[in-house]
Amino acid sequence: MEFDFSVIIDALPALFKGAQLTLFITVVGLVGGSLVGLIFGLMRAYGNKLINSIAFVYIEVVRGTPIVVQVMFIYFALPVIADIRVDPITAAVTSIIVNAGAYIAEIVRGAFLSVPRGLKEAGLALGMPVWRVLAFVVGPVAFRRMTPPLGNQFIVSLKDTSLFIVIGVGELTRQGQEIMAANFRAVEIWSAVAIFYLVMIGVLTFALRAVENRMRIL
Amino acid sequence: MKMVEFKNVSKRFGSTVVLDGVDLEIEAGEVVVLIGPSGSGKSTLLRCINALETIDGGDLLVDGLSVRGSKATVREIRQEAGMVFQQFNLFPQMTALQNVAFGPQQVRHTSKAQAEQEAMALLEKVGLLERKDHYPNELSGGQQQRVAIARALAIRPKLMLFDEPTSALDPELRQEVLRVMQDLAEEGMTMIVVTHEISFARKVGTRLIFMEHGHIAVDGAPNELIDQASNPRLRDFLQHVG
Repeated sequence: MEFDFSVIIDALPALFKGAQLTLFITVVGLVGGSLVGLIFGLMRAYGNKLINSIAFVYIEVVRGTPIVVQVMFIYFALPVIADIRVDPITAAVTSIIVNAGAYIAEIVRGAFLSVPRGLKEAGLALGMPVWRVLAFVVGPVAFRRMTPPLGNQFIVSLKDTSLFIVIGVGELTRQGQEIMAANFRAVEIWSAVAIFYLVMIGVLTFALRAVENRMRIL
Repeated sequence: MKMVEFKNVSKRFGSTVVLDGVDLEIEAGEVVVLIGPSGSGKSTLLRCINALETIDGGDLLVDGLSVRGSKATVREIRQEAGMVFQQFNLFPQMTALQNVAFGPQQVRHTSKAQAEQEAMALLEKVGLLERKDHYPNELSGGQQQRVAIARALAIRPKLMLFDEPTSALDPELRQEVLRVMQDLAEEGMTMIVVTHEISFARKVGTRLIFMEHGHIAVDGAPNELIDQASNPRLRDFLQHVG
């Protein structure tokens, strides 16, 4: 067979549209997921028994089920059990928030607890309230330690958006699938789709490296 | 004026009794040196004073405030009792200057400019002004500990607690830290020092306390106790550390 570049050229507008949606779901999902992760991670690390248990259950439920099942549940099961109807994109964004949130919570917990106890004590010994010690003494050190695993999770979540093909979200993989179904040019289309992902993740990797270079990991 | 008052204080870790009904009064201006074998409760006793450890029984007053008081009271106590740790515990993301200027901005609502100006004066006092822009990992252990002393002084405490301040240092770096502590004592600062530096106890201490099994076993003037220890276990201990 012959590799036909014109197929890719023709597909580019649709693929760009898909990539845009992929980026949108990833960015909004990860902003939300980071917030959720921070909250639940701190609940795990510093909460009392009840708060800790709540966070633990959330994390275990999410980590114990596949993301495809989660998004199917949000999209198809929630309307039945709670009469909550959402459009596919909202379901996709919510899935990333819920899914990444659980993994990021564990990253946050691990990073905060890895900071030597002496730093927290040094902050407390100055007479600072606990939340200030966590925000201004332990937090900045923990944040630096979080960046490598956080980068990993960002990449995983970006690629997880391809699974939303199952609820018909027109993201990058779905666009590829649709074009392919019309012209049967599997080699060209899936190569192009792969390169789109590679470029997006490449940019993300460079951005993360830039952040890491700007601050020494302590 | 009583600065610290232990009233029948007890402290347990699990089933281990670490402080067993300790009574102790420390007046303003005293330089108390706490010695004792490891596990005798000396570090715990020190850490109870600024409530880094909570006490299980009795009461402990610092400048009239109880460590069993509200969170706000505990923070007030901590602002009156500066602490220096064995492992320095400088904030690694901050320069020496930022480490020292941090506390006043956080708890005394001092402006950044004012806090940095005071921090410079303190760094000069501990002989590290030219190192103000260095990060902790760019400083020697002795320098880090001197910055840590300046950091504790920056919140203007009435009392300074030292938890084995030279134990993590090489012998040649200990002197620079001990000299700063001696200067501080000569200025009249109330100090409680957990240490194995017997020469410091002799030279700077006004009172020596030997702890054993969570009790205060011996309490008196440093020179007398060191030269003619009547307690056999203190004599034994001094032979090992001296």
